[in-house]
Amino acid sequence: MTSPRSLAIASLAIGAVLAVACGPKRVAQPSRPGDELIVLLPDSDGTTGRARVTSPSGVVTLDAAREATRVSGSQPPSLPSPLSPGEVSRLFAEALSALPPEPRHFILNFRFESNELTEESRALMPEIVKTVKARSVHDVVVIGHTDTAGPAPRNIDLGLLRAAAVRNLLVESGLARTSIAVTSHGEVDLLIPTADEIPEPRNRRVEITVR
Amino acid sequence: MTTPRYLIGVLVLASATPVLAQEPAAAGRIRVASGSAFIVRDGGSVPARQGQPVFQSDALQTGADGRIGVLLNDDTRLSIGPSSEVRLDRFAYAPASDNFAMVLQVVRGVAAYVSGRIAKLAPDAVRLETPAAIVGVRGTSLAIRVEPQ
Repeated sequence: MTSPRSLAIASLAIGAVLAVACGPKRVAQPSRPGDELIVLLPDSDGTTGRARVTSPSGVVTLDAAREATRVSGSQPPSLPSPLSPGEVSRLFAEALSALPPEPRHFILNFRFESNELTEESRALMPEIVKTVKARSVHDVVVIGHTDTAGPAPRNIDLGLLRAAAVRNLLVESGLARTSIAVTSHGEVDLLIPTADEIPEPRNRRVEITVR
Repeated sequence: MTTPRYLIGVLVLASATPVLAQEPAAAGRIRVASGSAFIVRDGGSVPARQGQPVFQSDALQTGADGRIGVLLNDDTRLSIGPSSEVRLDRFAYAPASDNFAMVLQVVRGVAAYVSGRIAKLAPDAVRLETPAAIVGVRGTSLAIRVEPQ
């Protein structure tokens, strides 16, 4: 007498054997024409994100440093397995070496309902200017943000006022006005998530990206 | 889209002023270009040079000694090595109007991708495609290699 349960277990076992026998190829196998290799790399802050690779016949998730999957013909993506740093370098050095330098970010804070910088933020300006001048090719993006106090459209305007105030300080410090782009995200891009109508000093800010 | 090209030309001429006013904003700029490196746009191709703007629908293409690095407006960094091609199928970065899109197609060769703010603000808006797969990302860096057919 065979119970449904043991049947289920048996079919699982058979399935597992089949999966091993005809399962996805190892990542390390030599590549063939049209093969694709997708590798998750650690981020510069030391963390590693996640990527979901979907082909018509399967899905795998990469979530560890240098984890890779190969997509070959109509087979499902191979089971993720990590590459060594040396393999990543051998396969991707030429692309990786062409990545532009990482943009640098600064945050300046403002007094409530105002486009006036806090004292601490004002003191950051010289370092920002120095960073910009150290790059041969540069552009600077200045984005104004607000907290959620007040109506959203008005906060777009307030964000813009803040960004423009910072641009003027940068221009006074000797940067070319044309290299500085000014924009506002209003209250939609909060640093500290809050409900609507919440005053939050850390959200009243200008973000400067030196690129 | 099957609209004949001459018809688009007529439409553009007919509404010249507003079209000029809405000239599409660049999606980013070339920061690194060496060897044979090209931007393919509207069926033609121009040499890629440092500082050049890149627009939605542009493709980046390299020959056997080429490399290109691009910085997009949302701080996404993208690069390709030799004998490679990527296409920026879609790019929209307008947080104030909650409009985000990034569809990158790695057609062949080797590419590196380091996510920017779109991946942070609207991760579902980011899609990397290869001939055989689609990659969705959660704030991440990737390297992709597509062997020639």
